[in-house]
Amino acid sequence: MARYTPENCTDIEDIVRDALQNETPLHITGYGTKTSLGGRVCARDELSLSAHSGITDYQPEELVLVARSGTPLLEIEETLDKNGQMLAFEPLHLNRFYDQPHPGSLGGIIACNLSGSRRISAGAARDYLLGFDAISGRAGYFRSGSKVMKNVTGYDLSKLMCGSFGMLAVMSEITLKVLPRPEFMTSLSVTCARLTDAQSALSAGFGSATEPSGGAIIKSGGGFKAVLRLEGVKISVKDRIASLSALLEKTGTLAVMSAEESLDFWQMMRDISCLQKGAEQVWKLSVTPSYAPQIIAELEAGHEVDYALDWAGGLIWLGGRGAELGEAVRNALARHDGGHATLMRAPEAIHASQPVFQPLDAALGGLQSRIKTAFDPMYILNPQKIELAGAADANAL
Amino acid sequence: MLLPEPEQNILDRRDEIVGALKSLLPKGCVIDDRTTMKAFDSDGLSAYRNLPLVVVLPETTQQVSDVMKWCRDNGVKIVPRGAGTSLSGGALPLSDGVLLGLGKFNQITEIDYENRTVTAQPGVTNLAITTAVQDNGFYYAPDPSSQIACSIGGNIAENSGGVHCLKYGLTTNNVLGIEMVTMDGEVVRIGGKHLDAPGFDILGVMTGSEGLLGVVTEVTVRILRKPATQRAMLVGFDNVQEAGQAVSTVIAAGIIPAGMEMMDNPAINAAEDFVNAGYPREAAALLIVELDGPEVEVDYLLDRVATLMKGAGASSIRISQSEEERNQFWAGRKSAFPAVGRISPDYLCMDGTIPRKALPEMLTRMSAMSQKYGLRVANVFHAGDGNLHPLILFDANAEGELERAEEFGAEILRNCVALGGVLTGEHGVGVEKRDLMGEMFTEDDLKQQQRLKCAFDPDHLLNPGKVFPVLHRCAELGRLHVHHGQLPHPDIPRF
Ligand SMILES: Cc1cc2nc3c(=O)[nH]c(=O)nc-3n(C[C@H](O)[C@H](O)[C@H](O)COP(=O)(O)OP(=O)(O)OC[C@H]3O[C@@H](n4cnc5c(N)ncnc54)[C@H](O)[C@@H]3O)c2cc1C
Repeated sequence: MARYTPENCTDIEDIVRDALQNETPLHITGYGTKTSLGGRVCARDELSLSAHSGITDYQPEELVLVARSGTPLLEIEETLDKNGQMLAFEPLHLNRFYDQPHPGSLGGIIACNLSGSRRISAGAARDYLLGFDAISGRAGYFRSGSKVMKNVTGYDLSKLMCGSFGMLAVMSEITLKVLPRPEFMTSLSVTCARLTDAQSALSAGFGSATEPSGGAIIKSGGGFKAVLRLEGVKISVKDRIASLSALLEKTGTLAVMSAEESLDFWQMMRDISCLQKGAEQVWKLSVTPSYAPQIIAELEAGHEVDYALDWAGGLIWLGGRGAELGEAVRNALARHDGGHATLMRAPEAIHASQPVFQPLDAALGGLQSRIKTAFDPMYILNPQKIELAGAADANAL
Repeated sequence: MLLPEPEQNILDRRDEIVGALKSLLPKGCVIDDRTTMKAFDSDGLSAYRNLPLVVVLPETTQQVSDVMKWCRDNGVKIVPRGAGTSLSGGALPLSDGVLLGLGKFNQITEIDYENRTVTAQPGVTNLAITTAVQDNGFYYAPDPSSQIACSIGGNIAENSGGVHCLKYGLTTNNVLGIEMVTMDGEVVRIGGKHLDAPGFDILGVMTGSEGLLGVVTEVTVRILRKPATQRAMLVGFDNVQEAGQAVSTVIAAGIIPAGMEMMDNPAINAAEDFVNAGYPREAAALLIVELDGPEVEVDYLLDRVATLMKGAGASSIRISQSEEERNQFWAGRKSAFPAVGRISPDYLCMDGTIPRKALPEMLTRMSAMSQKYGLRVANVFHAGDGNLHPLILFDANAEGELERAEEFGAEILRNCVALGGVLTGEHGVGVEKRDLMGEMFTEDDLKQQQRLKCAFDPDHLLNPGKVFPVLHRCAELGRLHVHHGQLPHPDIPRF
């Protein structure tokens, strides 16, 4: 068991080359805060990017920030905040959820494509990765993308890196698009008796010209509270809150949240502390928003579940228990326009008994394996973090 | 510019190939007479023309799949084509390739207001999506100037942008799902009305892949509610450098307008002659800044932008007072290409992107280059995101002018890269910028991109000759080079 902590790109390359030559796979980590997310990596040696850290270039007026992949997310968020800017995709902070000291590295957030509540309006982590350089599983250095906002030169490999869970290449430097932080934020809560009404409130809000930047639903009392967040210049937010209130007047009981209340609420969503403590398993469901209430009703009929919704209903955080819950979740999705489910957290036995990510059909699964092979033919990087169909395909190229 | 040498044995087998395709497709879906095929011999990069082997216009995904599978089995190349408005030659036919047109895929299949999505066949025009939903107050945000003609499938292939992508993103940020057919004829669905499909982001790499990875047969996009108010501001400057600087100033102040466009004096006058947009003819540069949102916000921000512009040296400022006037402001910008087409027999439209702060420097270099090559240039920029569209004016009938224009264009793009930018912001590499890829990427970078191609199309049958200057065989790319080409355990058979 070896643990490598390279400080620069050349060292990363050497470590990967050795691993490739010796055919000893590597567990790629930042600070190891998301080791519980995804499949259990089948590697004894660890390549940690924690020592490959630091912001290397930040040009606020260009809306561009470049940092080494091991840079702590908090350091980046603080630096941006000081300059009145932000990561618009509002990365999830999973430290509470996984009981970790901090939310980990930038590389981890990008590799896992972890986007928060603003996903629905501003896009995902993948929409903000302008470029990167990396060492592939072939121990080859390559670069893709750029530092400019618009670029279609060659394939958009940045998209592939986001959500690849470290299985294609080890990112060295990451270039992000950043955005000005809105000067003002407030939220409107709509309390309804039924989940379908709360969902309709979100749908109406997002279908209006009030430009909500977040839309969530939590259980509240015996009913449901839909919360819509508005951000921007103050005069505009005030105006839009008025329009939104008029629009949703009949849907439920309205309340404008105080700035503090609002901040707390969205932090709760960012930290996934919206579920009751102690749920045995937590699932992340990405669904067609209008089907969310039906999916939940179906699951509630057979299981004891707790849940909260984000992304205007398109994201369900589901807490529950039992070895059969996973199958029930996936069946419910299949009956309601598809979507996908990820097991975020579970006791080891339950985790080991089923796929963590949504299984893919044969055609798509085959493509995924061939993409893996294109970057990492010997399966040196994070083997099993995502289960791939036909892993034996490595010899096909 | 050279396309790959056509394969003689394919040319020799033309009758057999045409016959086989006719047996796979309904009557009228195969075009093999030269006169009719002429309509397909080029795209928007009309300096290049080439007749395809045959044109097919399938009507269903199954037919696309059948054609692709047959072509794969028979080693026949395919070039996908949407509306043929590409400015980089992405849809330029190959003499030994089937041109697969998606013109018959012209239906919008579903409009879902509750989830704010539209699902359409790939041949539907960009504008048709907005048209279909606008009566309900919605629109599709990416708005390329070619939007009345270009197809949504072509938009995916090129990751097209428009004047509003500064705030609302490019195609890639607005697509939720696709159905596509791979070169094997497999039908694959990715995404839908839910977000962030599982696995490696194939939707993300398909977007902007210029028809090299698969044929898109259905598209789901998100639609947005039309903003309550939209107003545009025309800002004139006495010199282009100041205008360039003003763009950075607005962004640095934390304001992201819906659009921020720039035109230089030749472009202003060409547009003014063409549509009478009311542009200040004497200005060296013009910025069009659009703000949208609730009326109070728009008023407030217009005020702030105006102040910033004055500080940056603006010589004139006009704010649209009605929807009619706003459209008039845009009319000049949106018709800039045809307008320039009227003042010159031919033009080349370039498409580099640079960091915003390099705009003033780039403009200085551009006028030096214009002198050097003895060719006029009119500039139209998506200035907010640093995306340049220099239009190089030339006369193809004048001996050597096309070549000179191309050299001028290449030098502009080299300068973009040198200033920290890229070869293409939204028009794609195609054949046009293919041979410049080495300016931006190393051989290793390009090889890694091609390995991705091999995962989709190991025989290079889909749109070969585009994007990559050198086509490496996939077997060669797959080989592992560890320690000067020695494999760790040469006794283990692999690859
Ligand atoms: C006057 C004018 C103005 C323009 N303005 C803009 C602008 O503002 N912004 C901008 O981004 N672009 C602009 N363009 C460029 C062009 O319109 C876009 O690139 C557009 O997206 C191309 O769409 P198309 O349907 O015409 O595709 P085509 O030209 O037919 O094809 C383009 C590429 O896409 C591939 N392709 C097409 N359909 C499919 C499919 N279904 N599946 C897989 N591959 C496919 C082709 O093989 C080719 O490589 C402009 C062009 C013109 C002529």
